[in-house]
Amino acid sequence: MGMFKTSEKLEEVLGGFFKLMADTPVIADKLLKSKLVIRFSYTDPDLVVVVDCSGEKIDVRPHDTDSKAIVEMSMSSDIAHRFWFGMVNLTKALTRKEMIAKGPIPKVLKLLPAIKPSYAMYPKYLDENGFEQYNITKAYKPPTA
Amino acid sequence: MGGYAGQILYIDLSSGRIEKKPLDMNFARKYIGGLGFGTQIYLDLIKDNPEFDALSENNPFVLMTGPLTGLKMDGVARWAVGTKSPLTGFWGDANVGGYFGARLKFAGYDGIVITGKAEKPSYIFINDDVVEIRDAQKYWGKDIYETTDELSADLKSESAKPGQVVCIGPAGEQLITFASIINNKRHAAGRTGMGAVWGSKNLKAIYASGSGNIEISDPDKLKVLKEELKTVYEESIFIDAIHASGTPAHLDVGIISGDIPIKNWQMTEWEDIDDIGPGSIEDKIFAGHKTCYGCSVACKKDAEVKDGPYKMDKGPSPEYETVGTFGTMCLNKNIESIAKANDICNRYGIDTITCGATIAFAIDCFENGLINETDTEGIKLTWGNSEAIVEMCEKIAKKEGFGALLAEGSAKAALKIGKNASDFLTTVKGLEAPMHDPRNAHGYGLAYGISPRGACHEASLDFPVEGGSMYIPEIEELAVDIEEMSSDGKAILNVACQDYGMFFSSCAIFCNLGATPLNATQALSMVNYVTGFDYTLEEIINIGKRVWYLKRGLTNFFGARAKDDMLPKRLMTEMKDGPTEGSVPDMEKMLSEFYELRGFNKDGVPKKEVLEGIGLTTLAGLIYNN
Repeated sequence: MGMFKTSEKLEEVLGGFFKLMADTPVIADKLLKSKLVIRFSYTDPDLVVVVDCSGEKIDVRPHDTDSKAIVEMSMSSDIAHRFWFGMVNLTKALTRKEMIAKGPIPKVLKLLPAIKPSYAMYPKYLDENGFEQYNITKAYKPPTA
Repeated sequence: MGGYAGQILYIDLSSGRIEKKPLDMNFARKYIGGLGFGTQIYLDLIKDNPEFDALSENNPFVLMTGPLTGLKMDGVARWAVGTKSPLTGFWGDANVGGYFGARLKFAGYDGIVITGKAEKPSYIFINDDVVEIRDAQKYWGKDIYETTDELSADLKSESAKPGQVVCIGPAGEQLITFASIINNKRHAAGRTGMGAVWGSKNLKAIYASGSGNIEISDPDKLKVLKEELKTVYEESIFIDAIHASGTPAHLDVGIISGDIPIKNWQMTEWEDIDDIGPGSIEDKIFAGHKTCYGCSVACKKDAEVKDGPYKMDKGPSPEYETVGTFGTMCLNKNIESIAKANDICNRYGIDTITCGATIAFAIDCFENGLINETDTEGIKLTWGNSEAIVEMCEKIAKKEGFGALLAEGSAKAALKIGKNASDFLTTVKGLEAPMHDPRNAHGYGLAYGISPRGACHEASLDFPVEGGSMYIPEIEELAVDIEEMSSDGKAILNVACQDYGMFFSSCAIFCNLGATPLNATQALSMVNYVTGFDYTLEEIINIGKRVWYLKRGLTNFFGARAKDDMLPKRLMTEMKDGPTEGSVPDMEKMLSEFYELRGFNKDGVPKKEVLEGIGLTTLAGLIYNN
């Protein structure tokens, strides 16, 4: 059993975070320049989310299994969760098939510096949205009132 | 047997004697090729007269191919060189791709052993059976590009097949201790000053052309393996990335984990990184894809700067390490200036890692008041000053002014600058560390420390294995889950990465980039199908182990001890923020475990009985009887 018990909870947490990133200009502006449409397929529990950067705004679409994606990325929900803390060695995960990627991957790699601020955002987002139990960062200290 | 050309050339530049010795197949079986051959031949040559300076005529030089070099397959175009390093004073070697190795084998030779010193500037001409030492005075003083073009044109009519030139530039002639040897203007045997050794021997170049081919022992099985590997390569994200962007693809990944040294190893995060990343390279300087002999990966790129202060003609684009040393290390966000510095290094023939890292060291000295504009003759060596970085690069290449001091490398320059200059060094055994931070992966720290040639990410397979680009499930120690920012288990990991790595990168000479997707079964099968030998995994690991001890033993014989295995202060300073916050390798623990595993004494030298136990009696005698 992974960290998330249900697909609904996974969607609530990760889907919500994708929407936060979509509304964060320092990240979104660079993602939009890529024009990529990425489908994330998670397992244990299962969830499909499309992040569409082809328009004027980033469109996050859970359960979209139909639209044509430029990049397909598959991984377990736990790997995905750890990734957003900056705790996954992406090169190793791809080499050891913990993540499977299809499509123009060099274009995805070029987005990594753009999404780097999200690593600091994720634990904060979890704490501020009632998902504290999913915050696995030891060093992170919640903001004081 | 297949794979081998069947002869080794012995060329004595002092006497002009040229010998073609048949390759002993028992020797081939025992050492595979590359620096497996090279280190043993070198040891045999020096054992009776082992005290000499690296730049003296008594220092032999070995250039060796592997059994796969010259085959039309991905990631096997490489060849290797080795000798005593003028930069470090220890064993030095370098591994290089390109086309020269293939041509040498087509001419009928697995390697060249060069001894002595020519009376006047010379080059070696090889065209099948014709091998001559010729006058090179008309090429002496010319840069790498001019020498390559002119020699190729001058010799074109003398060989039926096109030849390949490997040569030194003015830096090698001037004995700059980090001068390189370069094939085809871009493929550099860059590290540890191999070019200066050629300069000291008055050897400007080697031209090789051959009309032969390389036999394959079992072509049918090799064909099946090549088919299998097609899918492996198609599915490899790593290959996809380096094909698209070359080695600078790592800038996008490395900045996430804190792998990239910034501001002479004082930072791991930098908001301007995108200005010199793969996207900027593509937008601003990219001018085409290039490759090595027979390799479809094509990780080499061309660059061009059409106008402005850093204008450069189309030529080799900077590799990741070069973008690191001249870019992130110096806080230089101008990619055109990095391309220009790379162009200068290639033309003069100097190692971009040592050169760029030495400039970053000098900037640190300047910013901390240890040197000033009077010392640098008006050059403001400040962080991010692109113009000054390029100017100083050229002064180093020409050995002019303050550049002459830096042309000795940062470790020797620190001694002359004095005060606390050594605080800013990033060297191990006098070799500047590459652009991968051990605070991000502690095993790199041990790898840099105990590498025979000094701080180096290619001296074993620890970097690709711990970094994640390579996966070898057949070897238990390499198949485990690795926690990068921990020092636990890194000694045993390093031992395994050295033993298998010596087979992979030094003896068979697979490319650490283009052959990254291969697992041990595939790599071993390839060697067996080509050579006709029936190596087992255990056997090649034992061969790798023996070659590693040979390299380490030579470095120990040349004077290295445990104190030389330590990392410099800059690499051991805890970062206060960023991805590696609070992470520092525990060198004491890792070295202690490593010495135990390798059977070292407390001085960092393999015990006599350990060397004798693996058949290195001559080496044991050299170390313990001198």
